[in-house]
Amino acid sequence: MILCITEFSVVNITPEEAAQALREIEASRVAMRSAIQAHRGHLHLWLWGSLWMSTSVLNWDDNPAHTTASSLLMVGGGLTSALIGILQGRQVRAPVNPRFVAVCITILLFGFVAWPVVLGPPHGYRAAFGLGTLVWMQLYIVAGLWFDTYLLWLGIAATAIILAGLVFLPGLFWACTLLAGAVLVGTGFHVRNSWK
Amino acid sequence: MDALDPVIHQPARLQIMSAICQLKDDERVDFTFLKQQLGLTDGNLGSHLATLEERGYIRVDKEFIARRPKTFISVTSSGKAAFTAHVGALQAILQLK
Repeated sequence: MILCITEFSVVNITPEEAAQALREIEASRVAMRSAIQAHRGHLHLWLWGSLWMSTSVLNWDDNPAHTTASSLLMVGGGLTSALIGILQGRQVRAPVNPRFVAVCITILLFGFVAWPVVLGPPHGYRAAFGLGTLVWMQLYIVAGLWFDTYLLWLGIAATAIILAGLVFLPGLFWACTLLAGAVLVGTGFHVRNSWK
Repeated sequence: MDALDPVIHQPARLQIMSAICQLKDDERVDFTFLKQQLGLTDGNLGSHLATLEERGYIRVDKEFIARRPKTFISVTSSGKAAFTAHVGALQAILQLK
């Protein structure tokens, strides 16, 4: 009699082998989760939170000499964010949602082109920074409604803090943007540590 | 009780399925990244992925990025279901001990 065992024959294993297989599954799961954890957006939150905080400290005395440096920081942040996105997209990627991208482009065009043209440019660096951050927070709110709730709450919280600084507490505007930046950094830590 | 899945139970494929089942539904992982994570060779990973793809447990997409060929792997819903059932079967064996 020839006993033919193929690779896909019925599996019979002992409890010890089952326990070993479960241990291997857990080890592989933990290793992969830890690798994927680096792709959950906290790097961008840390980057932009730090940049907002730096800009707030830099402009604390409303010295116009610091506006160029602040703008350069933002440009550097944009380039760094793009680089992080490209590098991470080479490892783990999700499909781009064309409708979401279209909504983002529309918000950016309204915020940075249409409204300044219709209503005139913002009065001073403080107003420009406030407008810019509010436009980006609209994107966070839309992304939160679309994908992940934490972005919605982050967008609402930062918007409320910045609006409070712009409208109700002008003397504390940079303190408010510093706080909004800290909210971004804190959310980054939450995202990094809560996703197990 | 679910039966053990002989396709998934092979150690390397078990490792592959455990890893890619951690991805979100619409996410895909790069072949080279997965190879580094699992410590497998190109040929070894490629042959096991082919087996899993044949069974409909994973999807393999090849595309060109900056003129370089890239391979992305994602898990299908039947792959996730089969893996969950396999883990359930392993746990059931332990409970019968």
